[in-house]
Parts: sequence; C-alpha cells; structure tokens
Amino acid sequence: MTAPMPLRQSAEELSGTLPALVVAAERVAMTVAQGVHGRRRVGQGEAFWQFRRYEAGDSITRIDWRQTAKRERVFVRETEWEASQTIYVWRDASASMRWRSSAALPEKSARADLLTLALIALLVRGGERAALIGEDQRPSIGRGALARFAERILRSKDGPGLPPSTPLPRHAQAVLIGDFLSPLPQIDAAIRAIATRGIAGHVMQVTDPAEENLPYSGRTRFEGLEHEGDALIPRVESVRADYQRRFADHRAGLADIARAVGWTYMSHRTDRPAELALLTLYLALAHGPEAIGPGGGADGAPA
Amino acid sequence: MSLFGALAVLSPWWLAALAGLPIIYWLLRVTPPAPRRLHFPAIRILQDIVPKEETPAQTPLWLLILRLLLAAIVILALAHPLLNPPAQLGAAGGPLLLVVDDGWAAARRWSDRQEAMATLVDRAEREGRPVIVLPTATATTGEAPRASRLMRAVDARALVGAIEPKSWPVDRAAALAALGAMPEIAQAAVVYLADGLDDAAFVPFVERLQRLGEVTVMLDQPGALARLLQPPVSDPGALVLTALRPEATGPAAGFVRATTEDGRLLARADLRWTDGQASAQARIELPAELRNRITRLEIEGDTTAGAVVLLDERWRRRPVGVVSGATTERQQPLLSDSFYVERALQPYNELHTGTLADLLQRELAMIVLSDVGRLGDSERASLETFMRRGGVVMRFAGPRMADGADALVPVQLRTDGGRAFGGAMTWAQPLALTAFTTNSPFAGLEIPGDVRVMRQVLAEPGLDLADRTWARLSDGTPLITADRHGEGWLVLIHTAATPEWSTLPISGLFVEMLQRVVALSQGVGAAGGDQPLPPVATLDGFGRLQPPPASASAVGGGEIAQLRASARNPPGYYGTETARRAVNLANGMAPPRPIREVPPGIARASFGSDRTVDLKPWLLAAAIVLLLVDLVASIVLRGLLPRLRMPSTAALVALALCGALPALAQAPPTLRGAQPQAQQSADPLLNAALTTRLAYVQTGNGEVDQVSRAGLVGLGQVLARRTAVDIGQPIGVDIAEDELSFYPLMYWPITADATRPTPQVIQRVGAFLRGGGLILFDTREAGAFVPSQAAGGSPVALRLREILRPLNLGALVPMPNEHVLTRSFYLLREFPGRWTGGAVWVEQNQDRINDGVSSVIIGANDWAAAWATDGQGRHLYPAVPGGEAQRELAIRFGVNVVMYALTGNYKADQVHIEAIMERLRR
Repeated sequence: MTAPMPLRQSAEELSGTLPALVVAAERVAMTVAQGVHGRRRVGQGEAFWQFRRYEAGDSITRIDWRQTAKRERVFVRETEWEASQTIYVWRDASASMRWRSSAALPEKSARADLLTLALIALLVRGGERAALIGEDQRPSIGRGALARFAERILRSKDGPGLPPSTPLPRHAQAVLIGDFLSPLPQIDAAIRAIATRGIAGHVMQVTDPAEENLPYSGRTRFEGLEHEGDALIPRVESVRADYQRRFADHRAGLADIARAVGWTYMSHRTDRPAELALLTLYLALAHGPEAIGPGGGADGAPA
Repeated sequence: MSLFGALAVLSPWWLAALAGLPIIYWLLRVTPPAPRRLHFPAIRILQDIVPKEETPAQTPLWLLILRLLLAAIVILALAHPLLNPPAQLGAAGGPLLLVVDDGWAAARRWSDRQEAMATLVDRAEREGRPVIVLPTATATTGEAPRASRLMRAVDARALVGAIEPKSWPVDRAAALAALGAMPEIAQAAVVYLADGLDDAAFVPFVERLQRLGEVTVMLDQPGALARLLQPPVSDPGALVLTALRPEATGPAAGFVRATTEDGRLLARADLRWTDGQASAQARIELPAELRNRITRLEIEGDTTAGAVVLLDERWRRRPVGVVSGATTERQQPLLSDSFYVERALQPYNELHTGTLADLLQRELAMIVLSDVGRLGDSERASLETFMRRGGVVMRFAGPRMADGADALVPVQLRTDGGRAFGGAMTWAQPLALTAFTTNSPFAGLEIPGDVRVMRQVLAEPGLDLADRTWARLSDGTPLITADRHGEGWLVLIHTAATPEWSTLPISGLFVEMLQRVVALSQGVGAAGGDQPLPPVATLDGFGRLQPPPASASAVGGGEIAQLRASARNPPGYYGTETARRAVNLANGMAPPRPIREVPPGIARASFGSDRTVDLKPWLLAAAIVLLLVDLVASIVLRGLLPRLRMPSTAALVALALCGALPALAQAPPTLRGAQPQAQQSADPLLNAALTTRLAYVQTGNGEVDQVSRAGLVGLGQVLARRTAVDIGQPIGVDIAEDELSFYPLMYWPITADATRPTPQVIQRVGAFLRGGGLILFDTREAGAFVPSQAAGGSPVALRLREILRPLNLGALVPMPNEHVLTRSFYLLREFPGRWTGGAVWVEQNQDRINDGVSSVIIGANDWAAAWATDGQGRHLYPAVPGGEAQRELAIRFGVNVVMYALTGNYKADQVHIEAIMERLRR
C-alpha cells in the first residue's frame, strides 16, 4: 500500500466495488451450477445414490453384480458424495497481475479475483467449506461467507507471486490461481511445499493474450512490473517466434510440475469467458484430474 | 547576387551552410530513434532471449531524407532567394529620390502607385540607400510641395504609405522650386511616378531631376489615365454630360452614374469614345422630379475627384413667390394670409413676395396664392404657362375663395361655399387628418395629434377626385388636391393659410408639407450673392465626399463660378447645408493632355511590370510544413499513438498542415472524406406502402396534428386488440405534397386557420377519393355540420365547404339507419366522439358509383380526441357528456370506420348471407 488511506474512503471504495464483484461472481457461479447440479451429486460416500449403465472407463470394481445379474446390461453403483471438503484457494495478487494488453480486456488480477470468488460462491452453494491461503482465516461456510471473502480479496491488493508454504490440513484441496510467470524452479518449490502433505491441488494459469503472442513490433524497451529490470528488443517481430516457443515451454514446464505432484493444470486467457474457466475448475474439483484430461488446458490453450 | 538571370540570392553566404548537411546526415544516422517503452509481465522470458539481429537501429531512410530536406530548405530560406529580381537602381550607393505625382489624376490607379513605391523602398532598403520622398501636389495642409529629409528606408516606408492622392492637380512648378530648396545630393537614383498628364512644367521639372542622377519616369499603361467629367449643360428634359480623356487613341467605353444624396442610383448612361475622339457624351433623361434629386454624377469605376461632378441648388434651387389677395397684411401680421406661409418657407427657400404680375416677371419655382379669390383670364393663362414649364402653383382656400372660385383649381369646388365644424352653434367636432396614402407626396409624414380643421371648402364629387387627393380629413373629405399641368403642378389646400380655419398652419406638419411641395417643382438658376461661402463637404482624392479638411477655406459668392479647385478650395460643396454651391474639379480646367514624350536620356517604365517574387516566406512555410510532418512521424515512430492507423495518420498530417497554412484549410480532402455523410433515412414511400397505415392530414396546427396522431395510435391499439386488422403507426401527410394512394383512410381535421387548399390540392384529393380512398372529415366543434351551401355557420364549416364544393361528390345525406357503417363491425346507432349529437353525413348510396361506398364521412364530433391515448394507454381527453360509455361508442365507431374503409360494402352483402347459403346448399 502506498499511503494509509482514510478508513472511510477505503470503506466506501470497498462497498462500491464489492456488490459488483459479488454479483458477477454469483452470476458466473450460477451459470456453472445449473450445468453440473451442484448439490446432491455423485461422489465418495456410503449412501446409495443410483445405478447407472456401465460406461467405458468405469472401474470394474464399481460394477454392482447383483443388479447386473438381474438385468441384461452391466450396471455400476454410485454413492452420494457426503463428505464436506475444505478447499483452500490462493490467487496471485502480485503487481504483474495488474496488467492488460488492451482496454478491451480485463486485467489478469480482475479475472483471477472473479474466478476466485465465483469458485468460492459455487463451493459454498454446494455445502463445501472454503478458505484463502495466506490469510489466517478459518474455513468459512454459509452464504454470508461470500461477502467476507469478497471484502478480503479486494482488500489484499499486493502479495507475493507464488503461494506461501502454509501448512494445510490433510485431505484438503488447494486451488492456485495466478499467472505463474516466475522461474519454474521457484514455482516447483512452492507447489511441492504444499503438495508434500498429500494435498490434491489445481493450478489455474491466467494469462493475457499478448503474453502468449507478443503482438508488438519495432524497437521496444520492455519493462517488468515487479522490478525485474528491462529488456531492449531492437526488432520485436524477429524474436516473436522464439518468444512464443519459450512461453509454450514455460507453460509445458508448469504442467509437468503439476503432473509430478498429481495436480491438475489448467490455463485461462482473459479474452475467453470466465464461465468456461470456472466450469473447468469446478469439474476438476469434483472429479479429479481425469475430468480434465491429460492436457489440462481449460480453454484452447496449447497443451 | 544574380545566379542565373531569373533567380537572385540576397544573402549568398548562408549557402555555405549547405556544406554542413553531411554532418547532419551522419549525426542522424548514428542516433537511432528512441525506443517505445512498454510494460510487460512476462519480462523474464524476454530477458532470456538474446536478440538475433545485432544491427543497431537506424533512423529510417525516408525520415533521414525528410530531415535533410528540412535543413536544406531552412538554409535556402535564410539565403533569401528572389525570383525575377529587379535591375539595380542607378549608381551604387547614392540615395533614392522618389518623386510622386499625388494629384487627382493619380488616384485612378493609386494602388499600382502604392505598390510601386513600396517595391522601390524595399529595393532601396536592400541596396542600403537612403530615401528622399517628394510629392508634387500641394499638401492637404496647404503647404507647397516639399521634399522630405534624407531618411532610412524603414522610415520612408511609413511616409510613403501615408501619401494619399489629392483632389486637386499637381503643382510641378512648385515641386521644381522644392528641388532647389533640397539639400545637395548627387549620384541619386531618381524615380518619378508621374500621373500621366502633361503640363508646361513637366519637361523643365524632369530635366531638373536629371541633374540629380539617373531618372526613371513611371507612366501608366495606355488607357489607364484619369478621365475628367465636365459639369452637365442644361438641356430641356435631359442632362447632357461630357467626359474627356487625355489620350485620343482607340475606342473606349464606360458609364456615367447619377446618384441621389443618399447614394441611390437613379440612372446609368453609356459613355463611348470613338478612336481619335478625346471627348464623349452621355445623356441622362429622367422626369424632372427625379432629375432634381440627382446630387452626384460620376464615371463608373473611376475613383478620382475629376470623375465626379456634384450638382447643387443651381440645379435644384427653388425660389418661391408668395402672392396674397389681402391688403391689410402689414397692420395685423398674425392674421395675415401669407404670414404663416412665409414663415414656413423662409428658412429653406428663397422667398419673394409681391403681386402676381411682379412675381411672374421673376424666375420662380413655385408661386403660392393665399386666398386669392378670382384670377383674371390673363393671370390664369400666365400661371398656366408657368406650370407647364415646371412650376408649381399652390393655392390656399379662404373666405374669398369660399365666396366663389375661378377655374384654376385642381378639382371642381362646390359653389355653396365650405362647411364649418366645431363652432359655438354646431354639434360637429373639428376634424383631424387621416394618414397620408402612399401615392401622396406627403406619404410618411407624421401627423401631429392636435391638427384640427374647422372650416374648409368642399370639392364636388367627381370621378378623378380620389386620384387627385393628396390628403383627407378623418371623415374622408379631401383637404389637399392637386392636378398635373404639363411639367408642373396645381395644388389646392382646401383650408386657409391662417389659424382661423384650421390649426394646420401653426403645426410643424405645415412646414414639412410645404417642403414636399417645393421639392416637386423644378429648380431655377442661381442669383448671385457675394457673401463668403464656407466649405460644407469636400471631395477627397478618390472622389468621396468628406467633411472639409481644416485647411479648406471659404469662397466669396461672386467668385465661386470661376473658382478653380486647389488645396485651399478643394472641390465639394460650399455655402450652407440647405443652400449650397458645388465646386467641381473640371471647372475652368484645361482639357487633359497625356505625356507623350520624355526628354532624352530618361528611362521610361510602366506600373505593374514588377514581377519580383520573394521566395523566402514560401521556403519558410515549406520548412514549417516539413517540421510538422517530422513531428507527426516522430510521434508515430515512438509509438505514442499506438492505435493510429494509416488513414488517421494522414488525417493528422492534414490537420497539422491546416494549422500551418490557413490557405490549405479551405480544402482538406482527407478530413472531409473521413466524415461520411449521414445515411439517408429509409424511403418514406416504401415505409408507407409496406404496412397498412392510417393517415391524418397535417393541418399545420401542431396541437391538432398531435391529437390526430394520438387518436389514430389509440385506434390502432384497439384494432389490434379487438379485430384482425393489423395496422402500422399512423402517418401525418402533407395533403399538398405527399403521395396519398397508399392509405385506405385519411382523417382530416378541419381548422379555421388552415390554408385554403389550392386547385391542385383539390385535384389530388379528388384522385384519392376516386381511387377508393376514404376521408373522415372532422370539424371538431360539437354540433351539426350542415353541408348545404345556403346554411351559414362557423369559419370551420365554411372552410370545410370550400374543400367539399369542388370535389364533385355525390349528394350528402345524414347517415341512414341501415347504412353499412352502422354494422361494419359493431352494431351502432349513434356515432359520438369527444362530443356527441352532431349528425354524420355520408354520400348518398348510389350503387353505380364506387360500389355504393361513400368516399367521405363528415362529422363534428372530434373523434380523434376521443381515441387519443398517451404512451401508457390512458385516454387524453374526457368524452362529454357521456363519459367512458360514450368513449366506448366513439371507439366502436372508429373500428367501424376502419372496417368500412377496408371492406367497403362487404357487410352490406351480409344481409343476403342466408339466401346465399341456401343457394349453395341446394
């Protein structure tokens, strides 16, 4: 923070943007929730939920032989998801997130905030508990929690570019949302610090289209947003292909890091709708990495 | 320094700076343009990339060329190049003696002279010569011509700019003397800007100039010399003017303009000089009254004092003679007949009194006869002659005339004398005057409220009485009558010139009326007087009438006829504002002669031959334009305008150019092209034809039109809700302009102030009706409208009848009970609108015509107001007296009308439905 803002002014600023963010998050969440039936769904649990026809890919252990024997086809037995889980969400609040390549696009941080809050809204709606990594806040549940989350997200405007190695309880799931442009070894270390405790997790990389394509030309001096120094490129168009290759490498490395610890990796570009990213994220949370597929791309990003 | 004849460079050492261009080239080449700066989050990846190309960034070649060109142009501009440089003035180093003829003849082409003087001073400045200026005409202050001191060219420029042509001739003899008084100079370059007119002093003057140095005489191009207009000579019925030109070679043409005091043009006459003739004549033929108003004659386009002739009272002087029949005047002046007339005329006119016989001996413009009873035959005859020559005879009535008048009156007078009002024993009040009609010479005069006429003589009514009447009393009886006699007038005031009969003689109006009458008369020649006449207004060098300069002095009345214009007595008006004498430049002036020969050894030049073009400002302007282009290019290269595409770049460049060169601002095509014209709206005809629409006739009354529109909108909503009819938004039509054939039904509210439809409009309406259209006429005034011719009625009803009469409709009848309209959708028995009770008229059912469908429905119930709804469907106007029940009926009537318009007599056939069905079944 640059200067201590008067309390009243900051409160007004918050109350001005809060409803908009909450409403946007709710709207995004609602779109997704209607698609997947948030509550009362199949999952890990004891209670019988339904029989359904066997489909290719279902584990053989899940076949209910009694039911299969009664009929002509093979049926699997599904149980209702009962356990309430705690989802720990971290989103990148570093300076590099507050950037966009054109006025038509949202800043990466805005999209990350929206995704975070919408995910929390969706989870809360589904009866799960959610918490923010990096805030020493106990997991919250219930509708009122959403406003509190929104307030906390808007208030924390600066943060590190990688998640802190906070100890998380076992069997929790972690969701990391950010641009992950730090060097790969640092990212690897940070993710391993969380994953070593046996926690399942999901990495959502939010990027600006310009970061993928480098659509500039001519003699340009690029400056970092987090005091990384600058780079003078005499002819940007000549390095574009090289850059794109390196960016893809970076992304592939990130996916490898996630895969190495059994996490899912997803990417999202700010010129795509937030609903798509949220749906991918939600499916990954509900069904694990196999729901996403090995590539891990959320919305058309190259695997 | 002259490089190659047509181009000279004044500061050639600046060209050495061109050698510095390679340095600029090298500097620009090694200094790359600054990179654009961008924030970028994925900077680390970029930092890893080692640039493949290590060639340093360079200024683009085109920018390099642009900047070198810019530098070169600036250097060239500083070197100050001249195109078509003039030859050098005389010997080097000597002063420039600038002799200027600033007499009247120089004024015609004065701008040429000013330009020549400015150019000469510029050249003197460039060549570092001091300047002496010598104007040859007497100064406005009356001082004889005097040479200026030796001064720098900068100071000379101001002096030269202040020289104005004078309205008198040059005085070369005095200028010659001034040369002698001048400080001694030698090796001078002498330029003499002559006015082109020769006189005795020209040759000695030029020869004296030759002793000072090299002399160039600048003369006008042939045909550009000043011309002299002579005062007109008297000719009955016309002004004949002579214009003299100095050179007699070649044909020439022109015009003479005659204008009034206030500058209005009265006449324009041809002037034609044939080859070999120095003089040309023009005739201006005008009626005497108009001719009297001419104050100024001029040769069109010649802006000199010599081309102007001022006319004065010699052409317009109006001596007035007053005759009185009474003999007791001197004892009781205030009761005298002529006292008031004399007092009214005295300040403005030359006045003579005496017996008629005496007065007729004199030259007079007007004769006033104040209550002279009967005139003898010989007197009448001589007055008649007087009038035929243009004189005005003005007679006042009085007791003697009331006793019996002679024949010299403009109108026949009643023999029983006059009438009197407002006496002690009468009921009648004294009468005031009515406003003067426009054909009266008194038109426009303001009538004071206190002018009353107590007695007058009466005119016998006659056919031409009205034409001859100039003024009337408030009851219409003529007070002043007049009749034309030849060139002159006979005017009779039907009341006396004394306050006994009326208060007119003691009002200001009396004076003004007399002035007007005097103005009708023709002026006569002047009588000499010897009092000094001060200048009133004088002509300046360009022939414009101005307040006299302080140095202009008065002229003795006796010598004014022979006066020659000079600085002391410039041409113009002298005397007083009302009685003024004109002094014209042409008075007593010898015919102008052109300078044909100049003494040997003297160079001749003519005006307007200098074609030197200074290239410095153009080069500097080009440099500024290039600078702006460079600025825009730099901005674009730096990426400070990231979203700029090429067309808008061009627009920006154009904008920059416009800012730099106002001359270019007239036509910036890029800008103009960048703003496309607004799209034309959809074709209204198509709009009207694609959907069934109701129409209303626009009355021009905004309120009525709004109600019509709202009513049809409301009716359309009802139709959509209750019937199968799907109707678009209503359309207001201009009955005179718009195509009508698309509309099945037109609602036509009639207003009293509507413009009367022209026959063309009626024809259009008729065509609409014959084509099957239906018009619902609505007089909107609650009450029965009766279409018959005889019935009277409101203005609205009258207006409606005017529309209906030429339409060639069938007989109109009140709507019969079994009419189709009563059951075309709803079954109706009455047809109320906002009002109720008025009968509704339709055409009588004639099966042969239009299938028995009436083409008009006429009523007075203001239906549109009953249908009208606002945006929310609320009704706008109450229906009286029936309230909502009545409105429902009104709406039902509307539905029926639309159904009638759309289906015609279909419902009439419905009565036969049973029979038809029966037949079908069988």
